[in-house]
Amino acid sequence: MSTHEPTRTNDARTHEVADPILEIRDAEVVFEMDRGVSRVLDNVSIDIERGEVLGIVGESGSGKSMLASAMLDAVVDPGILSGEITFHPPDGEPVDVLAQDQEGIRELRWEDISMVFQGAMSSFNPTMKVGGHFEETLKAHEYDVEAGMERARELLADLYLEPDRVLDSFAHELSGGMQQRALIALSLVLEPDVLVMDEPTAALDLLMQRSILALLEELKAKYDLTLVFITHDLPLIAELADRLAVMYAFELVEVADSDSILSRAVHPYTRSLLNATPNLDAPLSEMRPIEGSAPDPVNVPEGCSYHPRCPLADEECVSQDPGFRPTHTEDHLAACFHWEEASEAIPFNIEREVNDE
Amino acid sequence: MNWFIKRIGQGLFTVFAVATLTFVLVRTMPGSPSQRLASQIREQQPNMSTQEINAMVAQRIGVDPDRPLHEAYIEYMVNLAQGNLGESINYQEPVFDIIARALPWTAFVMTISLLFVFVMGLGLGAVMAYREGSRFDVGSSLIAIFLSSVPYYVAAVILIYVLAIELSAFPLSGRYPSDVEPGFTLAFVGGALYHAVLPAASFVITSWGGFALGMRGNSIQVLGQDYIRVAKLRGLTDRRIALRYVGRNAVLPMWTSFLITIGFMFGSSIILEEIFSYRGIGYYMFDSIDNRDYPVMMGTFLVITICVIVAVLIADMTYGKIDPRVEAGGDNEAY
Amino acid sequence: MKRTDDDRATDGGTKPAADGGTGDVFAFEATEDVTTVQRYREFLHEAVYLPAREAWRDWRMKVGLFLIAGYLAMGLIAWISGSSFGIWEGVTIIEQPTSNQFGGFEYNNQPPFQSMEYPLGTDSTGRDILGGIVHATPDMLKMTFAGGVYVVVVATVVGTVAGYKGGRVDSVLTTISDVVMTIPGLPLVIVVATMIDPRNPWIIGPLLVVGWWAGLARTIRAQVLSIREHSYVEASRTMGITTPRIIQKDILPNLMPYIMVNFVMSARQVIFNGVGLYFLGILAHGSYSDNWGVMMQFAYTHASALLVPERAYQLLIPMAVIVGLSFGLILFSQGTDRLFNPRVRHRGSGETEEEGDDQVTTTIT
Repeated sequence: MSTHEPTRTNDARTHEVADPILEIRDAEVVFEMDRGVSRVLDNVSIDIERGEVLGIVGESGSGKSMLASAMLDAVVDPGILSGEITFHPPDGEPVDVLAQDQEGIRELRWEDISMVFQGAMSSFNPTMKVGGHFEETLKAHEYDVEAGMERARELLADLYLEPDRVLDSFAHELSGGMQQRALIALSLVLEPDVLVMDEPTAALDLLMQRSILALLEELKAKYDLTLVFITHDLPLIAELADRLAVMYAFELVEVADSDSILSRAVHPYTRSLLNATPNLDAPLSEMRPIEGSAPDPVNVPEGCSYHPRCPLADEECVSQDPGFRPTHTEDHLAACFHWEEASEAIPFNIEREVNDE
Repeated sequence: MNWFIKRIGQGLFTVFAVATLTFVLVRTMPGSPSQRLASQIREQQPNMSTQEINAMVAQRIGVDPDRPLHEAYIEYMVNLAQGNLGESINYQEPVFDIIARALPWTAFVMTISLLFVFVMGLGLGAVMAYREGSRFDVGSSLIAIFLSSVPYYVAAVILIYVLAIELSAFPLSGRYPSDVEPGFTLAFVGGALYHAVLPAASFVITSWGGFALGMRGNSIQVLGQDYIRVAKLRGLTDRRIALRYVGRNAVLPMWTSFLITIGFMFGSSIILEEIFSYRGIGYYMFDSIDNRDYPVMMGTFLVITICVIVAVLIADMTYGKIDPRVEAGGDNEAY
Repeated sequence: MKRTDDDRATDGGTKPAADGGTGDVFAFEATEDVTTVQRYREFLHEAVYLPAREAWRDWRMKVGLFLIAGYLAMGLIAWISGSSFGIWEGVTIIEQPTSNQFGGFEYNNQPPFQSMEYPLGTDSTGRDILGGIVHATPDMLKMTFAGGVYVVVVATVVGTVAGYKGGRVDSVLTTISDVVMTIPGLPLVIVVATMIDPRNPWIIGPLLVVGWWAGLARTIRAQVLSIREHSYVEASRTMGITTPRIIQKDILPNLMPYIMVNFVMSARQVIFNGVGLYFLGILAHGSYSDNWGVMMQFAYTHASALLVPERAYQLLIPMAVIVGLSFGLILFSQGTDRLFNPRVRHRGSGETEEEGDDQVTTTIT
């Protein structure tokens, strides 16, 4: 499969928005491995609108974390990122992220686009106080430390933490939820425009997840942020996100408004994902796991990569790549030949309420 | 503070245990030193009465063969507590004085050795980790493993053969040049350093490898941690990441090995100082074993134990200061 | 098609929403139905065959095992040559060396590689050096093995009991370990060896590393404590699986790396201390072919090998033999790195698999 050709072109089929803050075109990440080329991000194109909350959803190993790293040109070492990523600052010229030199990318990261990783505990240096992380970040970017620390205190207070106590603690002295919030504050200390969050709540309990989401909403409004939220938990993010992008096998398979996805998802994978997710409203017996397992990045199935697990798959799906296409509306894109049959073939196990705000 | 008291208590207990152990060995073993010493004195001075001999034995090693066990034990311990380690059979002088003269020399060589082992081992280990898989890394690892398989006394013999005998570049034995008056003069200190090179080198050459490999492993592990990645994304300089992030977090787990090395070095000083005729505490311990000079043997053993305990205590307390994860009073996993 | 709870549990790993490690718990349950024989075979495959194959890929492991095998062969040759057991009665491959074994004084101090009769030369009293090396091997191996086993067994027992029982048992055992750990090893060994003058290699070996178990016991205790808190052990316990079974299945496999490394390091320490004490004559009863250290001592004192360059080989050969064995042992233990350190094993697979602080740092001191 090392001769695997790019399977999807961008152009008209990309979900375009009026005022993009980040444009991603044909983003691809490959790892050279003993047993072949591992393509862990396969020609992903998507726009992120200024001020929106975009949720990126997928199973573990679907490439969603790679997409997050790609936005900061921060793919880990043996991985090679190609494609085009353009950042549009609020004022000034568009920035070609992948063309930046070392200094340029250093300034772009954290000052313009910031990131919160999964597992806050492991994101802090265990032998340095939390406050030290803020200070060194400000110094490294030649910000005014005093003003910066003032901002840090404000951010921490916004996140319902006691600023002085947190700054004077080591990470292991804080609870998981506190660490996560401190990490969010750290990622916002340089006043970025975009905040990319990779499973920021995965290690927390349900209550803490909800409260962090609520806080994010407040922060977003106060600091004028664009949020990219990456998670495996579709229902969790659906409440916060304006738009959802579903990933399967290192590609996007469906992109639409959150409500549109929740009420009338058209890709069989998205529908199964919704059915497989535990939900308080649904009886346990109605929960359906998706049969089969996620594909190996070295050996992605030909045609539609979901066909081995898809109940609707036919010969066309095996041989041809469906490509992105508009469905119900121009803005609801999905990569499926049989999108019209999907809702009948895979009925939702519960009626989902859609709140039209 | 509780933890501190507990530590000191434990140290005192260890001294007590070692003192008791030496007493038991000296007093109760068949053909025990006290009996041997008694017969030794009897041979030298056949006119002495048994009582006189016993009194002499008691004076020499603090153990009177005729006294009931518990009484003798208490007297021995009281003597120890007063700093009375008995009198050397061989040198006819208090053991305490012998040790007081010898100990600084051992400490001198050990400090130099430890410094070099630590700096070389940790520095090279970190560089190896940064260049993991490179020719430098593979070559250094191989050399480190090989040198770790060389016993320090083998290294000493080879160093003596090459540098002292064949090339005459370094002195073969002794603590300082014989033609220099001891004192804080440049000639004396320089001469002492010159004489310390080979003993220290024997230890450094064979011990840095273990530290380097340990440091390499730790650094590789730290380099793979999320916080390193986040630090890079935050735009910190490589220098800061290397020192404040990788260095510090990789060195801390080495602390235990460092402590064990202190004890290990005191042990190796017995063999090394004998080979180099370097009159430190190890030399006298070896000498006492050769001559069955039991008071010196017991005294040196006890003092070496106390030195190790103190060194470990100091290291242990500083560790609590530099690693925030170890909370004083909590369970100290440093050691 | 309605599925029962059990059905779902067994393929819990395929649930896309379950990113966490809940699959492990159910996988455990699933293996319960397999027959004992099958389980045993699977265990052998996973615990012995796969690691062995993986380890064999490491050159350090190969060279290390090769060296160790060489010494075992030497020990075997010496045993056969000296044995009067059954068919070995009359077989002598290499003779036990004796003074002037090749004739008169003209055979003293013969350099190596001169004659097939004495390939490594002779010492100052005409003894075959190769013979000495070979015949010292069995006792050396016995000492080494006994010392390693002693350290590992005592440490494992003390560490697991302390970690698993907790409470007063734990604090007593931990205090004892701390005390033993601070007593300087070699001086203690020397004092005790002088007092009891041991001769049996099975006793000398453990004596040479008498306090070494303490450090490993501390490590094992800390590991047991941390493993105890792991979710899968918790799960096993709530499922009513017995303590011995938990120790065997969940705890011991995690401790193996520490045990292996420490076995090798104690063995090396036995060699270093043992040879050193024989070399300096503290273990004084040695005859020429008792120990490589005795050979060094003879070369050092009787032949003045250090001062007479032509006789240096008498010192160098036993030294090389000592270094060779400990080099083999350390290579072997470094080679196990690949087995126990998941980061090394998975490197280059594109997935970053972290094992947190479970990593073993092999520190040689």
